[in-house]
Amino acid sequence: MDSKEVLLLKKALERQKKARQQAERILESKSKELYDVSRHLKETNNKLETLLSEKTSELDGVFMNILDPYVLMDLQFNVINMNTSAKDLFQKDHTKENVNLARFIHPHFQQYTMESMQSLLDVGILKNYRAKIRVAQGKEIWVQINASLIFNNQRKPIAAQGIIRDITGEMEVKELLAEQKKQLDIIVENSPLGILLTKDNRIIKANETFMQMLGYSHNELKNISLKDISAPEVQTGPCRLLDQMNQGILEEFTAIKKFYKKDGSFILTKTRMNAVTNQHGTINYQVGIIEDISKERKAEMELKASESRLSTLISNLHSGVLLEDENRKIALTNKMFCNLFNIPVNPDDLKGADCSESAEQSKVFFKNPDAFVKRIDEILEERVTVLSDELELVDGRVLERDYIPIYNDGIYKGHLWAYHDVTISKNYKKNLEAQREKYSSIIANMNLGLVEVDNNDVIQMVNQSFCQMSGFKEHELLGKVASKVIQVSNKELIPSKNKRRLSGASDSYEIEVQNKDGRNRHWLISGAPRYNESGTVIGSIGIHLDITDQKNLEFQKEKLLKELEISNTGLQEYAHIVSHDLKSPLRSISSLATWLFEDYKDVLDEGGKQQLQMMQEKVASMDKLIHGILEYSTANSSELDNTCVNLNEVITEIQEVIYIPDHVEIVVADILPNIIADNTKMHQLFQNIIGNAVVHIEKEKGIVEVIAQDKNEYWQFTVKDNGVGIPKKYHEKIFKIFQSVGNNERSTGIGLSIVKKIVDRYEGEIWVESKIGEGTEFHFTLKKNLNSHKNEESIDYKSKKIAS
Amino acid sequence: MKGIVFTEFLEMVETAYGLEVVDSIIEKSNLPSEGVYTSIATYEFNEMVSLITALSKEVNVSSGDLIYTFGHYLFSSLGRAHPEVIQNYNSPLGLLYSIEDHIHVHVKKLYPDAELPSFKILEKTDSSLTMIYTSSRGLYRLAHGLIEKTFEHFNGKADVTYELIKDDGTEVKFKIVQHG
Repeated sequence: MDSKEVLLLKKALERQKKARQQAERILESKSKELYDVSRHLKETNNKLETLLSEKTSELDGVFMNILDPYVLMDLQFNVINMNTSAKDLFQKDHTKENVNLARFIHPHFQQYTMESMQSLLDVGILKNYRAKIRVAQGKEIWVQINASLIFNNQRKPIAAQGIIRDITGEMEVKELLAEQKKQLDIIVENSPLGILLTKDNRIIKANETFMQMLGYSHNELKNISLKDISAPEVQTGPCRLLDQMNQGILEEFTAIKKFYKKDGSFILTKTRMNAVTNQHGTINYQVGIIEDISKERKAEMELKASESRLSTLISNLHSGVLLEDENRKIALTNKMFCNLFNIPVNPDDLKGADCSESAEQSKVFFKNPDAFVKRIDEILEERVTVLSDELELVDGRVLERDYIPIYNDGIYKGHLWAYHDVTISKNYKKNLEAQREKYSSIIANMNLGLVEVDNNDVIQMVNQSFCQMSGFKEHELLGKVASKVIQVSNKELIPSKNKRRLSGASDSYEIEVQNKDGRNRHWLISGAPRYNESGTVIGSIGIHLDITDQKNLEFQKEKLLKELEISNTGLQEYAHIVSHDLKSPLRSISSLATWLFEDYKDVLDEGGKQQLQMMQEKVASMDKLIHGILEYSTANSSELDNTCVNLNEVITEIQEVIYIPDHVEIVVADILPNIIADNTKMHQLFQNIIGNAVVHIEKEKGIVEVIAQDKNEYWQFTVKDNGVGIPKKYHEKIFKIFQSVGNNERSTGIGLSIVKKIVDRYEGEIWVESKIGEGTEFHFTLKKNLNSHKNEESIDYKSKKIAS
Repeated sequence: MKGIVFTEFLEMVETAYGLEVVDSIIEKSNLPSEGVYTSIATYEFNEMVSLITALSKEVNVSSGDLIYTFGHYLFSSLGRAHPEVIQNYNSPLGLLYSIEDHIHVHVKKLYPDAELPSFKILEKTDSSLTMIYTSSRGLYRLAHGLIEKTFEHFNGKADVTYELIKDDGTEVKFKIVQHG
């Protein structure tokens, strides 16, 4: 080994030594640390042990000496130790016998006990375990136990200790209190009076009745001050009382108070407030008892009102009233009484007057004065109610008198006289009787048949006329069913009418019946329901009129009308045929005349030619005449086909159709209206008048003017010309058929008669104003609404529309 | 740093390079402890850095490789010192998996003042393990060596790859895949 190596090893060894020393130092210091810690631990342990044993013995003493029963038991409920109190409680001694606590537990609490035990094992302590136990002689007591577990040094539970408290008394008191509270609650809740507990004006509690009285719920009331919902009836009253109570001046008071309900209305109550004070004299609560006296108040008011009504009633009664007390002094009388017996004083002044002599004094009023006095004495003697004694007075009046004795608790207290003036009703009855007789005789003798039936159509009453009409005797009708005795052609009619009668309807209708002789008669019946006093329908009354003769006339009229129609049609056809038959030979004559002229014009001289020409003219005139007759015959009969007619168009068409001389002009100044009429008839109407006008103008310049005027219900038209004029004497004549003025070749004398007919059909008039040499004005009117009134408005409206 | 790391490091140097190198690096490193180390005490980490740097110069091997080699050596030393720890495990992955939660807990019992790296497990399967090494010392190559040696101990083989999350090596992700 060389020296270098030795040196290295030495150095290494040196380092190793140092390292070892370093390590040894570390270990020594660690070892010292450990020693110190273990010594410290030992000391602490010792201290703890001492402490524990001291405490244990201390506690042992405490538990054994405490007054409450103390028990130490194992986990199977076997008693390990118990103090004297516990021994007394269970009446057992664990030193003498084995005591198991489980045996004492009341059966109802077994389950609870097991659960409690489990919780004790889980948690280590048990608080306020409460159960019933059974001790000797079946005595049951309530106990409360607070227990804790005891562990061994392995922290295992080995026993439980507990302090028992006998709470039987406590529980009994509690039950008693609960019972009493329940009873009290029942009383409070079922009380018809509202009961209220308040403190500083706040409502703490209120019973059901109070809540119903005001309509608030319990929770709502809790937020309401007593002053919010109540007010004294007289403003300054109990509110101040309440303040006084709050200040401790008053202990209780009773007052009439208004309570406002939730809906805003209020009730009147009698409220009694009591202050409940504690031992220091300060107020704990106020108890209020509230009685709803709204109804009583109302009843009181109503009673007062009815009393005053009654006295008003008596004073204004239509009977004379006299109330006498037991000493025959007047207690009450009225105006009517004074009036009846002409006593010229105020009824109130008669109060207290003695009546013992009054009968004697007033007997002069009566027709039979002695009987009057005697009857009064009799009545007063008997003291029994007497009603409707009739008394005749010398002045003709009749009075009815009631006597009513008044007893109070069986003691006679006076009596009431009531006099009614029955003069009028007596006379009325008589009048009624007379009236009845009068009407009965009218009914019996009137020309109309009268029948009363009940709801089953059984005849109750008939009059003489009905017997004559029907041919039956009265006894054959009364009590019979009307529809069976009287044979009606239309069987369904009467029952349906009777049904209507039940609903109170009255009406008139015609029937055809067979009278007793079997002859058919026509009756017009007016039926009305019969009512009894209560207004229910009990049958019907029928008034019958024999209209057989009128009926027959009506039938005849209808027949005549039909015949007339047939003959009219015949006539029209006849006119057609005649005119047609007349026209054809005319045409033959015309043709023959033409041929004669054609064939022999060279042979004939001027005279012959002229005569042929005249013949043609006469034939044309004849043709026109026949045409006119045909038009005339149809003007009246054919149907009016009324439509909206534009008269301007009509005039234009006429201008195209008729012959108008060159010097004549037709002028329509204003636009003519549209009217509702038959187009053809309007053509005929205007054509005939205008046609007439244009040919009768000899002036150089002829003007025919058509003018229309609205005359409300009528249209008025004027056709004015400046022609030759019509002499006055013809003004009427011209409208008659075959009348024409002068000897104009073109006039047939039919035209204006057709015009007249058309105007007549439109319920209008036509007239002429004319001056010879100056001109003629034809005026005519046409009714606007010829037909039913139903269409009146709409047509009127339409025509106005068109016209505008 | 725990004394055992120093004693074992010097032991390894002595075994590998002889006593002369040991003495040399101690002398050159100018250590406050003067190279006197006991496993139960604690010393400055800088002393280890000085020693490794000195050794690296002395033998001309990189510090990283020296630390990696030391990892291999240290596993055996620790195994000898505390065989019961390793006996608890029957697989290398099981052991690695429990470093943080089990082995380091026991270390703390004996040496409450020990400053230990943390191994955070990211992913574990039957044959692989991914974890993050975190330590202010940055001795991830030591960890690398220890991990490899673990497999060797259980006669297993594994590919151990690592990836620096921080450049100074204070946080490194290891991915270990066992095969065979």
